[in-house]
Amino acid sequence: MSLTDRIAQGLESGWNVTDSALLTQNLTAEADVVVIGTGAGGGTTAEILARSGLSVILVEEGRLYYQKDFKMDEQTSYANLYQEGMSRVTRDGAIAILQGRCVGGSTTVNWTSSFRTPAPTLNYWAEQFGLDELRPDAMAPWFDGREERHSMAPWQVDPNVNNDILRQGCEKLGYSWQIIPRNVKGCWNLGYCGVGCPTNAKQGALMTTIPGALDNNARLFHSLRADRLVMNEDKIDHLEASAFADDGVTPTGIKVTLKARHFVVAASAIGSPGLLLRSDIPDPHQRIGKRSFIHPVNATVAQMPQRVDPFYGAPQSIYSDEFNFRNGVDGPVGYKLEVPPLHPGMSSGVIPGHGETQINNMAGLPHMQSVIALLRDGFHPESPGGTVSLRDDGSPVLDYPVSDYLWKGIREAFHTMAEIQFAAGAEKVRLMHLDSDWYTNWTDAKAAIDQLPMAPHRVRLFTAHQMGGCAMGSNPQNSVVNGFGEHHQVSNLSIHDASIFPTSIGANPQLSVYALAARNSTRLAQRLSRAAS
Amino acid sequence: MQKQIPDPSGHPQFADLNRRSFLKTGLGGAVFLGTVSVTAGLSGCATQPAGRLSAVGTRMDASYQFRFLNEDDIALFEALLPAMIGPGLPEQPQARNLAIAGTIERIDAGIHKFGPANQKELRQLFDLLNFGLTRVTVARVWSSWPNVTTAEADAFLERWRTSRIGLFNNGYIALTKISNVAFYGYRDFWHLSGYPGPPQYAVDALPQFQNA
Repeated sequence: MSLTDRIAQGLESGWNVTDSALLTQNLTAEADVVVIGTGAGGGTTAEILARSGLSVILVEEGRLYYQKDFKMDEQTSYANLYQEGMSRVTRDGAIAILQGRCVGGSTTVNWTSSFRTPAPTLNYWAEQFGLDELRPDAMAPWFDGREERHSMAPWQVDPNVNNDILRQGCEKLGYSWQIIPRNVKGCWNLGYCGVGCPTNAKQGALMTTIPGALDNNARLFHSLRADRLVMNEDKIDHLEASAFADDGVTPTGIKVTLKARHFVVAASAIGSPGLLLRSDIPDPHQRIGKRSFIHPVNATVAQMPQRVDPFYGAPQSIYSDEFNFRNGVDGPVGYKLEVPPLHPGMSSGVIPGHGETQINNMAGLPHMQSVIALLRDGFHPESPGGTVSLRDDGSPVLDYPVSDYLWKGIREAFHTMAEIQFAAGAEKVRLMHLDSDWYTNWTDAKAAIDQLPMAPHRVRLFTAHQMGGCAMGSNPQNSVVNGFGEHHQVSNLSIHDASIFPTSIGANPQLSVYALAARNSTRLAQRLSRAAS
Repeated sequence: MQKQIPDPSGHPQFADLNRRSFLKTGLGGAVFLGTVSVTAGLSGCATQPAGRLSAVGTRMDASYQFRFLNEDDIALFEALLPAMIGPGLPEQPQARNLAIAGTIERIDAGIHKFGPANQKELRQLFDLLNFGLTRVTVARVWSSWPNVTTAEADAFLERWRTSRIGLFNNGYIALTKISNVAFYGYRDFWHLSGYPGPPQYAVDALPQFQNA
C-alpha cells in the first residue's frame, strides 16, 4: 500500500514531459514514431515501441493529472478529466457520452472492469470480416500478457451492496452471474475510480504503460491537440498540433510540428476518425467514421430497504451475461448487466427530474441501487451503428440513430433490470425515463414498461464504450485498417485503439484495446527495427 | 395576428394559432434555434460574458469572473433555480442568495470546460429563452425572467419535460443536468442526498489532502 507516487517520482527523475500550455514559441520535434493518444491503445503502443529501442513521442490533448489532483471530487474531475467537461453527447443530444480526456485517457477514469473480448465476438469477426488471426486461441497469449501487465484479477473482496443486489436478484431468478476481474493493485475499495484513483491502485495506462514508456526515453506532450496529419505523396510527413492553456480548453496559439517515420493514431473511436477526416487521409471507399458502436446503456434505479451507500466500494464487481449471447451472436440484441456507482453529482445529472421530485429522488441516495444494461450493438443488419463526422469547426461529432431493433432490446432490458431489483427486495423501482414513476411492485413496473414510449430523449441513454469508426478487416472495401491495425492505403499509418473494432465487444473494452495494441505494437516494433537496421 | 386571451390566473395566453407555430418550431427546430442567436445578437441582447457584475455583485463571490454566462443568462438561472432545486435551497434569504449565486458560478465554470461546440449549443438555447419573442412563443413564458415566479418557472420546466417534441426534452435535460450537477455535486449540499463525502480515514491518510 505504497503512497509513493509513480508520476511525481518520474517527473522528479527527469522524464521528458512537456506541458504544452507552458510553450512560448512554436516548436518542431522528431522521433521514429509519433503516437497520438495516451489511453489504453496509445500507452501500450508507446511502452512497447520505446522498450524496443525506438524513439517515441506521445501526444495527449488532455492534461497530465495524477495523484495530487485526485481528491475524490466529482465536479473538478468531470470538468478536467472527461471529454467536453462531461457534456459530450451524440449530435441530437439523446445519448450522453462518458469518455476520458487526460493522460491515460478513459483508463484514468474507468471503473476498472477487465474482460477478455468474448469468444463469440472474435469468432464473428473471423467469419464476417476475414479476421481469422484474431480467433480466441490466437489472442489468448495477448490477453494473458496484458492481464499480468495491468494486474487484472477477479475481485477478491466482497462486493459492495450495490453490486451484491445484482447478484442476489440473479440468484433468485436463476440467472447466471460472475465476479468482475479488475485492474487494481492494493485497492482500498473506496469507490472513486471514476474521478481518478486517489490511491494509485488502479493499474490503468497512467500507472503502467505511460511510466514504462517515459522510463524508456519516450517524450510526452500533454495539453496538445493533434490537428492534422499532413501527407507528402503517399506517406504522412508530419503532424500539426496546437497547444491548450492550463485550463485545458483555451488555445494558446502555439503550434507544434511533429515529424516521424511512422504515426500511430490512438485518439479513441471519436477522436481517431475525427483526426483522419480532418487530415483528408485517403479513404477510397468512404469507410472512415462509419459503423461506430457504443454499447448503448439504459438503466433502472431501485429504492432498497437496506442501506446501499452506492458511492462507496469497488464500483463494479458483479456482472451477468445471462442475456448477452442468449439469442446467438447475431440474433435479437443481447445485453450485459452491470452496476454503476452513484455519487450525488452524477446521480442528480442522470436521474431526470427537478424540484421537489428531484430532491426526494436524491434524498434516497443512501438506499439507492442501480442496474445498467449494455447493449451489444453491431452484430445485426438492423444495428449498423452510428457515424462520426466533423462539425464546422473541425471537431468530431457522433450521430447515433437508435434503430427499432435496439429499442426492442432496450425495452427488454428494462424488464430484466426491474425484475432483478424487485427479486432482490426493492421497495420501489423507476426507469431512467422521462415518463417513469416509481413502481412499488413488479406487476405495475412490467405493465408500465410495456406502455412507455421507447423514444430518443424520453429514454435516458448513455455510453461509456466508444468503438469502431476505423474498422479493421481483410477487405479494404469495407474497412480502414487490416488485422494488425495497419492502414490499407497509407503505409506509415497505424491505428491502435477501439476505433478498429468492426462491431462492439459485448464487454467493457479496455482489455480488448490493451491486447490488440500489444499484439499490433509488437509487430510494428519488429517492422520498424528491421527497416532501420 | 395573435389574440391574447387572459386566463384565470391573469396571465395572457395565446389561442390556437400559437399551438400551430409551437409545433412548427419543433419540426424546424434546429434551424430555428440557429437563427435565434443571430437575431438576439442583432437586437442588442447581452452577448458578452458577464465578467464582474456590479448589479448582482453583492451576492457573488467577488473573486469569480464569469467566462460564459452573460447577465441575461444569470437572470435566467436566478429564475429557474428555485424551481429546479425547490425545497433544497435554504429559506433564509441571505443563505438562499448565496446558494443560488454559488450554483450559477459553478454552472459557468462547468460550461467553460464544455468547449466551443457545446457552448455554441447552449448559447442558442439561452438566447432562445432570453429573447422576448421566442421566450413567449416557444417557451411560453410570458414575463421576463426576473419577473417569473417559481410556479411559472416550474410550469415551464414541466412543459419541456413532458413535451412530445424531442428538442424541448433535450432543452429540459440540458438545463436540469447542468443545474443539478452544479448543485447536488457541491459539498455544501451533499447532506441533501445523505452523502457523507469521501471516507475520512482515506482523506486523513492520503498525501494529496495534506497541507490543504
